[in-house]
Formats: sequence, C-alpha cells, structure tokens
Amino acid sequence: MKRVKDKNRIYAGLACVFAAFALVLAVGVGSVSTSPAGVISVILNQLFGRELPESVDASIVSIVWEIRMPRVFTAFFAGALLSVSGAIVQSLLQNPLASSYTLGVSSGASLGAGIIIALEIQSTFLSFLLLPVTGFVFGLGTVLLVIFFSSRLDGNLKSHTIILFGMITSLFTNACLTLVSAIKSKHMQRLILWQMGSFAGRRWTHVGILATICVIGCIMAFMFHKQLDLMSFGDETAQGVGVDTKKGRIVLLILASILTGCAVCFTGVIGFIDLAAPHAVRRIFGPSHKYVIPMSGLLGGAFMILADFAARMVLSPQEIPVGAVTALLGAPFFLWIYFGSGKKYKRK
Amino acid sequence: MKAFSCENVKSAYDKKYLDSHPIISDITFDIDEGSSVAVLGSNGCGKSTLLRTLAGMIPFSGDIRVGGRELSRLKRKEIASSVALMSQISQVYFSYSVFDTVLMGRFAHGNDLFGGYNDEDRTAAEEALKRTGALHMADRNLSELSGGELQRVFLARTFAQETPILMLDEPMNHLDLKVQAELSEYLKEWGSEEGHTLIGVYHDINLALRLSDTLILMKNGKIVKKGEKKEILSYNLLQEVYDFDVYGYLRSLSASEIFD
Repeated sequence: MKRVKDKNRIYAGLACVFAAFALVLAVGVGSVSTSPAGVISVILNQLFGRELPESVDASIVSIVWEIRMPRVFTAFFAGALLSVSGAIVQSLLQNPLASSYTLGVSSGASLGAGIIIALEIQSTFLSFLLLPVTGFVFGLGTVLLVIFFSSRLDGNLKSHTIILFGMITSLFTNACLTLVSAIKSKHMQRLILWQMGSFAGRRWTHVGILATICVIGCIMAFMFHKQLDLMSFGDETAQGVGVDTKKGRIVLLILASILTGCAVCFTGVIGFIDLAAPHAVRRIFGPSHKYVIPMSGLLGGAFMILADFAARMVLSPQEIPVGAVTALLGAPFFLWIYFGSGKKYKRK
Repeated sequence: MKAFSCENVKSAYDKKYLDSHPIISDITFDIDEGSSVAVLGSNGCGKSTLLRTLAGMIPFSGDIRVGGRELSRLKRKEIASSVALMSQISQVYFSYSVFDTVLMGRFAHGNDLFGGYNDEDRTAAEEALKRTGALHMADRNLSELSGGELQRVFLARTFAQETPILMLDEPMNHLDLKVQAELSEYLKEWGSEEGHTLIGVYHDINLALRLSDTLILMKNGKIVKKGEKKEILSYNLLQEVYDFDVYGYLRSLSASEIFD
C-alpha cells in the first residue's frame, strides 16, 4: 500500500514537470519565439520591474506578457475546470462515458450565447462579460432544470434518470439554438466560431476569474473526495457507510456544472478533455479521488495548453479550432492510455 | 434495551408510492440488543427491503427506533455508526484496491473534511480483512477478483464499520464451503459478544438455524410470524410461506448417507 503511495508521489512530481514544460513551451514558442530564460526574464520584468537582458527584445515583452501568457493560462484553467468537472460527474453517475456536458451545460450555455449573438444584445454594465455571464447562467439553469425534473420523476435521483433527462434537455436546447440560428442566420458564423471554442484574445481578467473559480472549485471538490470514492460504488453502498447521497449528488452536480459552465462561457465548447483526462489519471494514479481530483486538474490543464499550442502552430499563421485538436490528439492518446501501453498501464 | 423497535412500518422505494404501493407494510416488531435474528421467506417477499428500511435507506412511514433513537431524525453518519448493512448489490465501476475499499467502511468514523483515514482506521480495515480471510488480497484490485472474493471484501468493509448492529443480506451466496464455514463461525462468535446484534437474510435454512436464535418469516411484504426457532420451523408455517414441501426438500438434500 505504501508502495502505491510512493509511486503516485513520483507520478505527481512528473505531472508537475510535464505541466511546467507545456507552459514554458506554449509561452515561448510561436510566430516569434524566445527561450525559456527569455520567458522567465519577461515575467520577472513585469512582476518585479527587473531589467531585461540585452538578448531579449523589448517587443517580445508585450507578446509574452499581453498575448501569450493570458492565452496559455486561460487554456490551463479551462482544461483544469473541465477535467475536474468530468471526474466528478463520471463518479457521481457511475458512468465512465458521462461528463458535465451530459447534463446539458454546453447546450444551455450555447443557447444563452446564441440568443445574445443573434439578438445583438449589448450591455454597458457587463461589457465584454455579457456573453460569458449569459452563457454561464443558461448553462447552470439547464442543469438545475435537469435536476428538478429528475427529482420530480425519481425521488431517489438515480444516475440513469439524470443522464436521461440531461440528454433530453440537451436535445431540446440544441433544437432551440438551431431555431434561433435559422431565424437569425446572418449571425450563424459567429455563433459556430464561439461554439468551436478558442483561447485567442483572452486577457488577464479572464485568467483572474477562471483561476479563482478553479482554485475554489478544486478545493471544494477535494473536500468531497471520500464521498466520491464511495458514491462510485453506487448509492446503497455509499448510504450504508454514512454518505448522504441525495444531498451529496445535488451539491456535486451543481459544483461540476459551475466548473464546466465557467470554462464554456469564457472559451466555448471544447470537448474530450473532460472525458479523457480523468480516465488517463485513473489509469496512472488509480481511482482514488484524493489523486483523481488534483491530477485531473493538473494534467487536463497541461493537455489543454498543448492542444491550444497545436491549434495555433500546425497551420500557422492560420489557427484551427482547439476543440478539433483536443479530439484529434485526445482520441489516440486515450486509446494508448487505455489499451496500448503494455504492462505499465495494464488493466489492473 | 431494544436494538430495533418498529411500529406499524411500511416502506417503498419512492415516497410517492408509500401509501398506494408499499413494498412492505404492517411491520411491527422488536429486536432485542444482543440477539441474532434470521429473516426467511421466498424471493420478492420483502426481506431485503426490510433490511434497507431498518438502515434508513428508503422512504418509510411509521415509527422505527434504533437503540431507542428515532431513525427518521438520525443523520446518515449517525445511522452508519450504529448499523452496518451488507447488501446483495454492490457495483464496481472503478477498480479500487481491496485495502482502500475496506478502508472506505470507516467513513462514518472520520470528521475532517480534507483528511484521509488515520492509523486507527487502517488497523480496523486490516482486522476486518483478517476476519474474512481476505488479508492476502489487500493489494489486489477489485477487477481481478472473483464473485466470492468480492463478497469477502464487501463483507470486510461492513465489518470495518465496527457497528453494534450488523445486517447481512445473503452474506454467503457466492462463497466456497471453507470460507462459509470459517465465516459462519466468526459471525456466531461476533453475535455472541455483548451488545452485538446480528440480523441476516438467508435462503439456507441450516445457516439461519446455525447463526440465529430468533427467526422472522415473511410473505408478500408482511411478517407472518416472529419467534423462537422451534416455534417458527413448523411444517405448516414453512409450507404456508414457501408454498411447497420444505421439509421434504431439506430431507432430500441431506448428504449424510454418502459420508457414512
């Protein structure tokens, strides 16, 4: 047992190194590149006013500090939020194929964004936050609707009832979105681009909001790690040892939806990370949520950074949608983790 | 002192069916602290539902008291500190290690939100694994185990709860004969300790007789009779509950002539 703990500590250390590598790579490399030392000197210059070395061009400062770092950190926190949320939902619903998208968060958020875009609504109060805030409210509203109808039909709030209502609600809101898009077709392109997801043009304000929610959300999710372990065995087992499953399920579903809603409303709908990252983490660290929650956040974030890096580099200067990259890179990676890596990750 | 006291209890899996379609109804009985009780009856008569109701897992009406305290007022952790239930159903979606699985039985003993399990919990888990003869499997993962081995692990998780009341729903149905013999010996010993109450649902009447001093017979969601072994195991009562010649069947099962 101690062996497993030690092994997991080593893997956790390696995961930190991997995340740091992804961060430095994505910040340093692009149409204009700089070395890791250059990246660090820019950060020191901006944070502590330390002078830049001669080897670092002054123009690189704004590229690194104003453009790339907010983008990379937004990608990291969005990936972390989606992955942690995916890990929670998979365990809660005892379904390895579930994610918070199953609950209708993305379709609800898309409908909210669709209404704002199609009706050209603007707000001086919310300014550039109007679209994310509306997306978030609609996303969370959809999940609350799913929970409400599920509990009306099934007092015990069983997993399959939630999944069923989540799917029905997703289909319904998607149909509403299609209707909005068809009526206001001139905005369709903007809506599709929003749905594809992107980290381009993100600012430090976005990073600040996402980071705050990510840290608070991950701490809250971690507080439930023992309950999550037990609930993945089914309600009867969890109740039998003292978990209030109904209350726990509602709290955790809302928490997972807030996490996903935040990521979606700032970056659009980016799939696959929420599904694949928790599975990869379980394969490496085992199923205990003591590891699954923090490591899904770390590796999901790192993987999202790399996906965004690929999205802007592969056909540079043209960018491809990051959602396409996550699926293109993620699918084979997921298969390798699950089936193909020989003895090391052999299905235990 | 009563371990359980039930007054006019009925229960259903969904609250809205409690009055119209209860699974069990008119349940009124007491179970003394320190007694060993077996619940017998044919499939679907409500035996497992009775255990789930006593563990406060499904909606019920009427009055249930656990150790004198009203069940409906207790929090889940408080119930789990008094009553441990090993049910027939336990799903495995993610392959935890055997030791971690048994350790989870200690959930109700912990208070801290962030912390894991402490040394006391680990000792209790180890002890529980020893008792079910599963200590050698501690490092294995659940997906590697057979049905019988899994049952031993889940039984160990129930023991790790260290509650004064133990409810077991068909605890031996996947176990081999050797483990059955060892476990029934242990359960008998556990049940004889002061303050321990054992309630079991069994299909094997011999096992029920071996482990229990009181029997409850159920049919169609109601209790037909509760009483001492001799009083309950009459030809007519068993015939009424099981709807066939139980005596004749049990006699035909005897393998003693082969051993002679």
